[in-house]
Amino acid sequence: MTTAEFELIVRQQQGMVYSIAYNFFNNVAVAEEVAQDVFLQLYENRRSVESHSHVIAWLRRATTHRCIDVVRHRSFHNEVQLDELPETHDDQPETDPLLQERLRRLVASLPETPRTVLILRYGEDMDAEEISRTLEMPVRTVWSHLQRGIALLKEKASRYLKEESRESIR
Amino acid sequence: MNPFDKDFREALQRREPPPGFAEKVLSRARQLDSRPKRFFTWRWAAAAAAAVLVLTVGSLEYREHLRRIEGERAKEQVMLALRLTGSELRGVQERLARVQQRVIEVPEK
Repeated sequence: MTTAEFELIVRQQQGMVYSIAYNFFNNVAVAEEVAQDVFLQLYENRRSVESHSHVIAWLRRATTHRCIDVVRHRSFHNEVQLDELPETHDDQPETDPLLQERLRRLVASLPETPRTVLILRYGEDMDAEEISRTLEMPVRTVWSHLQRGIALLKEKASRYLKEESRESIR
Repeated sequence: MNPFDKDFREALQRREPPPGFAEKVLSRARQLDSRPKRFFTWRWAAAAAAAVLVLTVGSLEYREHLRRIEGERAKEQVMLALRLTGSELRGVQERLARVQQRVIEVPEK
C-alpha cells in the first residue's frame, strides 16, 4: 500500500473507525484518539495489507480490539449515572436525539464484549457470521453476547424508567 | 423492523470524526516515516551474542585442533627416537655376538 492509497483509505474509512470507537466510549476525545491509533497501526502494517476488503475487515478488528484494550488497561469506566441522562419531553419528534443519546450512554455502559457485538450489529449492520469472523469467536457466542447485551440494556432502561416515575410522583 | 431495532440503528449510526481528523492522522504517519530508525534492537543484540558465542567456540576448537597436531608430531618424534635406539642396540648386539664368535674360534695355545 502506497502513502497515497493510505490517505484514500483514511478519508474513506474514517467514519467507520471513528463511529465504532465513539459508540463504544460515547466520548469524542477518546474515540478520536483510538481511531487515530488504529490508522497509524494500519500505516505501520501497510505492507501486509492484501486487498480493499481485507483493509475493512482489518480496520474493524483492530478498532474493536483497541477499544477493549483501552477499557482494560486504562480502567476506563463508563458507568451510567441515572441522573446524568438527559430529560425527556412529551412532544417527541420521529427521531428523538435525547432518546438516542440515552441509548448510546446505556450501550457505552455495557461490558466490553456484548457492547462490541451490539455496536457491530446495529452500528455497522453486520450479521452474526461477519461479527464472529471479526471478533474471532463462534457464531453461537456472538448470539449469546447479543442476547445478553439486549437483556442488560432492557434491565438498565427499566431501572431508569422506575427512577424517573418515582421522581415524577414526588 | 421493530421499534427497538430502529431506535438502536439510529442511535448507533455512523458519524464523521471532528474536522481535520484525516490531516492529523496523515501528519502523524509522516512523523513516523521521518523518525530515525533505531539501530539497537533486541534482534540485533541476539544476533551479536550468537556471533560472539560462535567465535568463542570456534577459537577454542581451533586451539584444541592445534594442540592435537602438536601432540601427534611429538609422539612421532618419540617413536622415531625409539626406533633409532632399537636399531643401534641391535648393531651393538650383533657386534658383541661377532666378538664372542671370534673368541670361541681362536684356538688355545
